[in-house]
This record gives sequence, C-alpha cells and structure tokens, in this order.
Amino acid sequence: MKLFKSSLIALALAGTTAANAASLAITNAKVHTATSAGVLENATVVIDNGVITAINPESVAADQTIDAQGKVLTPGFIASMNQLGLVEVSAVASSRDASDKKADITFDASLAFNPKSTAIPLTRKGGITRSVVAPRGGDDMFKGQTFVADMSGDFDSVMAANGAVVVELGAESKGSRAMALQKLSNKLEDAEKALAKAKKDDKDDKKDVKRDAQVINALLAGEKPLIAHVDRATDILAVLAMKERFGLNLVLAGAADSVLVMDEIAKANVPVVMSAMRNLPGSFDSLHTNLANAGKLSKAGIKVIITVDGDTHNTHLLRFTVGNAVANGMDYDAALASVTANVADVFGLDSGKIEVGKAADIVLWSADPFELSTKAKQLWISGEAQVLESRQDKLRDRYTTDSDMPRAYIK
Amino acid sequence: MHKIVPSLVMAAVSVALTGCMKSEQQDAKVTINKNPYPSTYQVLPSQKTIIQNATVLVGNGERLENTDVLFMDGKIVQVGQGLPTDGATVVDGSEKWVTPGVIDVHSHLGVYPSPSVESHADGNEMTSPNTSEVWAEHSVWPQDPGFQTARAGGVTTLQLLPGSANLFGGRGVTLKNVPSHTMQGMKFPEAPYGLKMACGENPKRVYGSRKEAPGTRMGNMAGYRMAWAEATEYKRAWEKYEADYAAGKNPQAPTRDIELDTLKGVLDGDILIHNHCYKAEEMAMMIDLGKEFNYHSGTFHHAIEGYKIADMLAENGNCAAMWPDWWGFKMEAYDMVEENVAIVDAVKNSCAVVHSDSGTTIQRLNQEAGKIMYRANDNGFDLKEEDAIVWITSNAAKSLGIDDKTGSLVKGKAADVVLWNTNPFSVYAQADQVFVDGAKVYDRYDEKYQAQSDFMLGQE
Repeated sequence: MKLFKSSLIALALAGTTAANAASLAITNAKVHTATSAGVLENATVVIDNGVITAINPESVAADQTIDAQGKVLTPGFIASMNQLGLVEVSAVASSRDASDKKADITFDASLAFNPKSTAIPLTRKGGITRSVVAPRGGDDMFKGQTFVADMSGDFDSVMAANGAVVVELGAESKGSRAMALQKLSNKLEDAEKALAKAKKDDKDDKKDVKRDAQVINALLAGEKPLIAHVDRATDILAVLAMKERFGLNLVLAGAADSVLVMDEIAKANVPVVMSAMRNLPGSFDSLHTNLANAGKLSKAGIKVIITVDGDTHNTHLLRFTVGNAVANGMDYDAALASVTANVADVFGLDSGKIEVGKAADIVLWSADPFELSTKAKQLWISGEAQVLESRQDKLRDRYTTDSDMPRAYIK
Repeated sequence: MHKIVPSLVMAAVSVALTGCMKSEQQDAKVTINKNPYPSTYQVLPSQKTIIQNATVLVGNGERLENTDVLFMDGKIVQVGQGLPTDGATVVDGSEKWVTPGVIDVHSHLGVYPSPSVESHADGNEMTSPNTSEVWAEHSVWPQDPGFQTARAGGVTTLQLLPGSANLFGGRGVTLKNVPSHTMQGMKFPEAPYGLKMACGENPKRVYGSRKEAPGTRMGNMAGYRMAWAEATEYKRAWEKYEADYAAGKNPQAPTRDIELDTLKGVLDGDILIHNHCYKAEEMAMMIDLGKEFNYHSGTFHHAIEGYKIADMLAENGNCAAMWPDWWGFKMEAYDMVEENVAIVDAVKNSCAVVHSDSGTTIQRLNQEAGKIMYRANDNGFDLKEEDAIVWITSNAAKSLGIDDKTGSLVKGKAADVVLWNTNPFSVYAQADQVFVDGAKVYDRYDEKYQAQSDFMLGQE
C-alpha cells in the first residue's frame, strides 16, 4: 500500500464495493500495445468500468489521471501452465491440489483454486495479472483441463474453467511411448466414429453422451485446445499428424526438440508453450534445447508462449526469462507477445493487449519490464489498482526495522 | 597438500633405515595419505593477454573505469590505465565489463549430470544418515554438458557437493571449470575438501520414512553429536599414536576408518563444513554444535532465513550461500525474502555468497546477484555493481578456502577472468570471453573456444 498515492488508495477502496466506478486516464506513457499498433510514445490510455475505453482520445475526461512520465505501460503478463492457487508449499501434500491419482480428462482443478495463496501477491509483483493454470500429475495420460484465474487475490478470481485439455506424451519410465500415442489416436478415432454413427442414426440426444466423451467431442470439434506435453521431435510429428487427421486445435507444450521440426510446426499453425531457459539435455527426448530456440521458433512464424519451468513459486520470474529470450536472439515485440497477446489468442482471453475493448489488465513499469533493475510501479486488474506488497516484503521489513522488542511485535 | 606425499615417503623410509639403531624397535610409522586422488590439472595453452579500456569490477569492492587488465603465465600481472601492450594479445574492452571468474560454491554438475537418467544419479549416497566416507569426486562424470553451459556463463570454479538427504553427505570437491575427460584433470590444486552436512527436513524425511533415525529435528542433532563424539575419540587415538611414536615408543596405530578420517579432517581444520541449512534456529544450533566439538561451522547453504540471524553469522565468521528468490518448495523454504543476501551482507565482517544448486541458474549467477542488488536498492539499500560481484567471486572463494588463489583481479592471483558484453547485472548480459588461469576457455564468437562434451558429439 505504501507505494500508492492517496488518490489511488481511495480508488482501490472504492473499488471494493463499487468496482471500477471511477474512470482512469494514464497519460504520457510509452505504451507497448502488443498489437499491430506497436509501441506508442507519449500515449494516453483510458480505462473505465474494467475495460480499456480509449487510446489517445482527442480530449481526456476521466475521474483520475496518472502522469506516467514517459514510463513503459504494457498489458498485464499472462503466466501459463503453472499451478498458482493450487499449491502453497510444494512438499506439503495437504497444501497441494493440482493433481489427483484418479484425475482424468474431466478433472477441473479450478474448484480448488485458493486466491489467498501467498504466491499470488508475489506473482502480481512480477507484472502478472492472469494465469492459465494447468493440472498436472495423476496416472492417466489426460491430466484434466486448464482454467483461467486473475491475480487479484479476490474470491472471484476464477474467470473461466474447463478450458484446454492437457495430455502428457513421450518418454515413459515403464513401457513404451507408443502406447499413449496409440491410445490417444484410438480414442479420437472411436469418438469420431460414434459421432458419425449418431449423426447417421439421427440421434440428437446429448444426454446419453458421457462426460469424458463430451470432452473428446469438443476436441474433435476444435472447440477446446488440446495441449500436448511432448519433447522429442518424433512425438511432435505424431501429434501434428493427429491434428491434421482429426482437425484438432493443438498446442504443443515443452517441445524441447521442436527446433528440429519447426517448419512442420509453423506450417500446421500450431503454437508452442515453452520455457526460454531450458538448454540442458535433460533426457534423450531433449538433446536440442538451446537458449536461442524461443527466438528461432518465433522467427519461423510459430506463435510462442513463454512459461517458467519448474516450481510454481518461481512464476514471478517470468519477465526475466523473457528478457533472456531477447538476450539470446528473440525479437523484443515477439517476446512481449509471448507473455501477453499470444497467450490471449491461444486461450481465448480478453486481455493481453492494450486495445479498446480489452480488459484493463495493465502494468506501469519503472523501465524495460524484462530488465532486472526494473520493477512494476502500478498494476491494474480489470481496471482495479492492485496492492504490490507480498508476505516476503513484510518479513523483510520485520527484520530490517530497529526495535528493542522481539521481532514478533513488528507487524 | 601435494607436498605431503613425498615427504611422508621419505620419513617412512628413514624410519625403516634407522629404526634398528634405536633402543626400542619401532615399526614403520603408519601415515594416512590425505591426497590419494591428486589433481592432474594443466593450464590450457595461454598467452600474455591485455583487456583494454573496460569497466573493471575487481572483486574486492573496487570498481575501475577505462581500465586495462594484464595477465600472463596464469596470473594477474597488473590492473590499471594505459598499461604497456608489448607482446600481449590485445582485447578491446571498451563498452564492456571485466570481472573475476564466477565461482559457484554449490553445484551438482557431474554428480547429477544431464541427461538426468537413473544411471547418472550419483549425487547422494542415500543409504545411511552418516556417509562421511563418500567423496563426491568419485561420482563426477566430467562429460556432463552442464560444465560447458556453466562456462559460457562465466563460471571458472565450482564446488561439487553430495546431496542433502544425509546428516553427513560426504566430501565435496572443488574443480576448475575446464574440459577434461577425468575428474583429476579438473581438480582445483590445493583446494581444501568440503564436508556436506544437512539440517532440517531432508534427513528426517528420508530416514524417518524408513523408520530409521533421524526421524525428527532433535534426532538430527543427536546424529551429529554422536558422530562428532566418535570423531573426537578417533582424533585423540591418532594423536596419541603420533605422540608415542615421536617419543620413540612403538605404539599400535589406530584402525583406519574412512568415515572418521573425514570428520577428523574437519576437527583438524583441513576440511571445511558446507552445511545445507535453511532456518534461523537450526543455523544457530549448528554454530553451537561447532563450538561444542571444536570445529568451525563453516558455510550455511541455502540459508533461506539468513536475514534473521545476519549478526550472528558475521560474529561467528560463517559464510551464507543463498538463492535470490527460490522458495515455497518446502516448509523450511517458506520465509524467503528477495533481499536475504543483501541483509546478510550488510553486517560488518559478513560473508554473503550467491549460489546456484542448479545446472540452469549456475549459467547466470551474475543475474542472480543482480536481482538481489536491485530488489534491495528498491527497499532502502545502496548497493553497487562492485558490491554485488563480491557475492559470486571473492566471498565464494573465501567460503571454499581458495581466496588466496582466486576470486579477485589483484596482482598475483589466478587470471580467472570474464569479459562481459555489458553490465553483468543486466538481463541482456552475456560472457563474451572466459579465461581460467590466463588461458581462454570460452569465446562466444569463436567456435574454436566452445568445448563440447563427448555425450553431445554426433547427436542429431
């Protein structure tokens, strides 16, 4: 809170009851729109009722005005494929809800989302306003479905559930990778046949269709993305072939060795969700990882989404991994899109761009958002100014404040 | 340390020759070779080199603008302005930055190498809570491709440690980050051994879940104390043997115990403690434990709560090796603050170190240090690049007991040098050239200086 001007505190307080009642104009900003409009210097962005209502209007009429003093304004970053709100402490089983041994294609982890997780304010400080949260683990090759949550910490954070289906393919510690590929293909083929038969029989009774079959049917109709975790090039080609055959809305995740088949991926118009920092050959499926790969894929015309590899608690570092992608050859605007517009496009979100009509998820930065020295100065989610303080800040302050009393009295 | 071997052989031989002339017949003195797997490291081909007109972070807190760094025969010759270039390879350092080679005090490269297949999981002898008898150097696979990527990130020296499942995990080894097909070819000559210890959740979880001791934190403490008590007896037995022998008696040597050799090495001051320990209250007890058994409690690794006991760490001469911002993966990693390193560093006589414990972040320890500096400066600190570089160079060297040899760009020290394309604390910074003992081991723009492990050769 201490970072806020008094007018903003008032705005934030007002926002809790009558959300977004006040309109806000941010003037004199260097706006990275993450759209074809590119970067706008000395620009004004007006937000009202949770959405962006004007960019560079002829006259500014808003309840509040903030002079950005030439600083960078970007869409809020969108993290993806993490377990934010589903885990408090990774090694504490009772604080984990992202996986279930019996989870299947219908698994909806959004029911477990905890907006009060201490990871969320820290993530917000990293300029992240939303996340595409993904289930992981469980015995089935289908891990369940993604959901979208904002990073406000409010109880109504979950914006959309039952999004994309997550499937894990590739190297197996027991058995053959062929089995899962075959099973997936068979499932799609059987469902296709069943649909054709139902059409032939003129059955229009959807009530008979089981829940898991409904999800498969949505994949066949291209209504739901299928996110396939694959690394080896042969596995990538195998799922590309399934996309072709069944008309899937396919998204590749991980995709360690995608650089070997990037022309095929580009041709199939399939986006890739990847870590920009992966460059060690962790397995025989990933012998071609390299810090330059995100840039190479992007230049090949592939829509790249950058994620943070590993523990969900590190999601706040997303912007630095994007900076490293730029350092290793990725075009700056493409890199920005990889955590804003591209995520919105692939997952059908109304944020990720500074454009009239989009959700007012925006961040005002002290400088280049990817640079280590930069910090998020102010951040809005659906037009609401957010607190940029985390539990970590409180701990720091407790132990750097002079006091004669035990630290426990410093709050 | 390598001098010990020939002199001891001489002593043994002379005893054998002269023994019969003494009043009491003495058997040959039993001695323990402290360096049975000696370094065979050779400096790579090198030439006199001068880097001109760079911003130089010396590693001792100093920063010098438009400065030249001259090195020859493996050593730093001079750091200053307008140095003579005769006979030297000249490198243009204008707009660039020069720092000492980066040192990582906590790595598992080589012992948990890539690919991380089962056959390669050689980093932790998780078969007993006290495995002081194992040495990480005996697990090192020098073909780990991670050594090359770490070198491209400016890492010239690294300590490989055993894992943290055990109270005593075994000896760590310090390596020069040069390509070699043997461990000995990388081994840092005369660097002291480390002994890995671990506090907290890992040992009690691993052994407790098997219904073995330790199953609690008090069980952890009991395990350390019993081991040190035994080691104290072992040390006493050897000292008595040596004193009696010196007095002309013919005592029987104690039975050799490989496990206790390592603990005795700590009590003798030859081996340095490297203690995986996250929490304030546990570090405070480990410091007392060292006092109870007369050894120094060394460096605390991870030290997520170092900031809660910054004064105590400095008063007791403990280094703390920390991450900038990893947290939340275990309860003992819950109280992370992004300014931890800066708070530990702010106390007089402190020794704050930034470590990786990761094949990924070891490649960017400069950025790890940078994040800390900037977050601290956002919150009232006034840290400069010349301060932050210390965390990944000279303080790290101090933690490893090699600060007389490397870690700063001062005359006479090893020419372990990194030339950066820009301010090393930028997200866009990259190491252009890396030198170990004055020899170029990496060049971002010259494939000739980009080593590749056997494993990666021919992979298509």
